[in-house]
Amino acid sequence: MKYTITIVTMLIFSGCSSKLVRVMPYEKENFAMIKMSLSPLAERSEQEGHILLIREASVGGDSSFQGGCGCR
Amino acid sequence: MKKILLVIMALSIGLFASVGEGDKALPFNLKSLSGKSYSMNSFKGKVVLLNLWASWCGGCKKEMPEFYKLQKSMGRNFKIVAVTIDKNSADAKSFLRSVNKKTHMRTPFVVLHNPSKSLARAYKAEGMPSSYLIDKKGIIRAVMIGSLNHNDIKELKKEIKKLK
Repeated sequence: MKYTITIVTMLIFSGCSSKLVRVMPYEKENFAMIKMSLSPLAERSEQEGHILLIREASVGGDSSFQGGCGCR
Repeated sequence: MKKILLVIMALSIGLFASVGEGDKALPFNLKSLSGKSYSMNSFKGKVVLLNLWASWCGGCKKEMPEFYKLQKSMGRNFKIVAVTIDKNSADAKSFLRSVNKKTHMRTPFVVLHNPSKSLARAYKAEGMPSSYLIDKKGIIRAVMIGSLNHNDIKELKKEIKKLK
């Protein structure tokens, strides 16, 4: 019984192993596509930033360390 | 019961172990970008640098011109076997054309196409690109994960000269 539990536990944990679950480097073809990047269109993201700047009346308001209130 | 445990442990070790130094190079049978068939035996008696690469991999693109120079400088008893795992061979061809233009050379080595990625899977490649230096007897002598820069190539040349 002890052995059975050990084997079952081993099998369960091997199933959770990062080697089995993670995407291997040679499988990342689709992830490498430009459309998969967070900001696929550089020009568009620049325009969006500009519009946000006007709308929020602040510079740098889109960054994570500033409030976006314009007061800095 | 102990035997079963040992078998399971052996299997699990085999599952995780990637191909390393001292192991025999894995057999393959692949077609080149020009359609000619090659196997590991085609390079018997030669020192081989097996390179797994893809046109979507930044590091692979960076090191490719260095491989052109390496093949030119190391002569006949050394062969680079570049295996592209691109789904579409046209992507690999287009990239190689750009390297040819940049280096003013024609691709000086064999480029094999492996869209199923079976070879990378068999080698359990830990990174892209991955390169394996294989001696004349077909034994892996060095495993290089990641892009090789100019200094790495210098070191590699020393290793190749030892094996030749």
